[in-house]
Amino acid sequence: MPGMPGDTAHAVVAGLGSWLPSRSVSNDELAGYLDTSDEWIRSRTGIAARRWVDQGTTTGDLAVEAGRLALRAASEDTVDAVVLATTTPDRRCPATAPDVAARLGMTGTPAFDVSAVCAGFLYGLATASGLIAAGTAQRVLLIGAETYSTILNPGDRTTRAIFGDAAGAVLLRAGSADEPGAIGPCVLGSDGGNRDLITIPAGGAEQRSAGTDAPPEDFYFQMRGGDVYRHAVTRMIESAEEALSRTGWAADEVDRLVPHQANSRISTAVAERMGIEPNRQVTNIEHVGNTASASIPVLLAETAADGRLKPGHRVLIVGFGGGLAWGATTLTWPDVPALRGEG
Amino acid sequence: MFEELKQLMASKYQLDPATITPDATLKGLGLDSLDVVELAMTAEKEWGPRVTDDELNEAQRLDAIVKLLESRNARV
Repeated sequence: MPGMPGDTAHAVVAGLGSWLPSRSVSNDELAGYLDTSDEWIRSRTGIAARRWVDQGTTTGDLAVEAGRLALRAASEDTVDAVVLATTTPDRRCPATAPDVAARLGMTGTPAFDVSAVCAGFLYGLATASGLIAAGTAQRVLLIGAETYSTILNPGDRTTRAIFGDAAGAVLLRAGSADEPGAIGPCVLGSDGGNRDLITIPAGGAEQRSAGTDAPPEDFYFQMRGGDVYRHAVTRMIESAEEALSRTGWAADEVDRLVPHQANSRISTAVAERMGIEPNRQVTNIEHVGNTASASIPVLLAETAADGRLKPGHRVLIVGFGGGLAWGATTLTWPDVPALRGEG
Repeated sequence: MFEELKQLMASKYQLDPATITPDATLKGLGLDSLDVVELAMTAEKEWGPRVTDDELNEAQRLDAIVKLLESRNARV
């Protein structure tokens, strides 16, 4: 039994929740004010539409809704820790997680943010697993939530076409390594020498300490797509293969590849190079876009709810984002509820 | 080297081999920005030399790309 002396508790998935803003923004709507087109966006990203919040809705709002659904899915009222992965916290200080915990009725519960951009959910999984393995928490609510619409340059046709808003949450409980839902080896990595590839250059200590003004575009999210593609494909494959090796699975034993929904062409390139057939890769980027740290839990909740992901499936999860930062892990899918909502 | 590049491009991008001539350009063959990144990555994997998508875009013509790859000691 986990929790007995000498045993190490493993994080086990006990329930999922996801929440999407109800406003869907089509490619044609973007093409109304940007130099782009539905064909241009679809062919380069695989995206047909993305969700953006209405004015006044924040990352914390989405996180609360997804978190509430994950709690309900796992039949829990409270947890021992709340971890929020996000690139778009409600404030630069303090973290958004304590506010989310309080709004979920858990004032007093440890809560903090994890910042690893699109790899945030993988970093969050490793962090939550560590809290459980150390005995600090028996149950952790891990949420990935983003409102990228608040950091996109209104005139940037590339990032504006790619990114969307969403939140996904997973409730993890202490359990055994050999039961379905147990989080496998978490492989993580980073490369700060390439931090300029995905960045908001201004507004942090670097620019403020320099005492100089920055051009307006430097306060918005920026991405060098071609370079990102190359690094993403390379690092996602490396980390995914390492996670498979440490799990003892071959690539052809993976039933479902769940890649961060960065761009459908990145996901396809990763699957092709790894020898994972297209019908074993799940995707939802077409209707939600790239939702950064929310993308993996939102995709897990969607595919668990619609049956693309079934109990017993051997699942490989892999993510990549700004930092650069990346990660991968494995699990056998458990028979747990996934609740979805929007509003 | 040109023949190897031609074969690779025909299969990777489902192009009619007859259109892949030394004076053809990446743009003219319909490759978009991510296709060019893919080409750079595949060239490195297949033949060794590290080339960037910026370099391929600058070269544009396939004969210039072959020259670029050969100058980097591509192993065919």
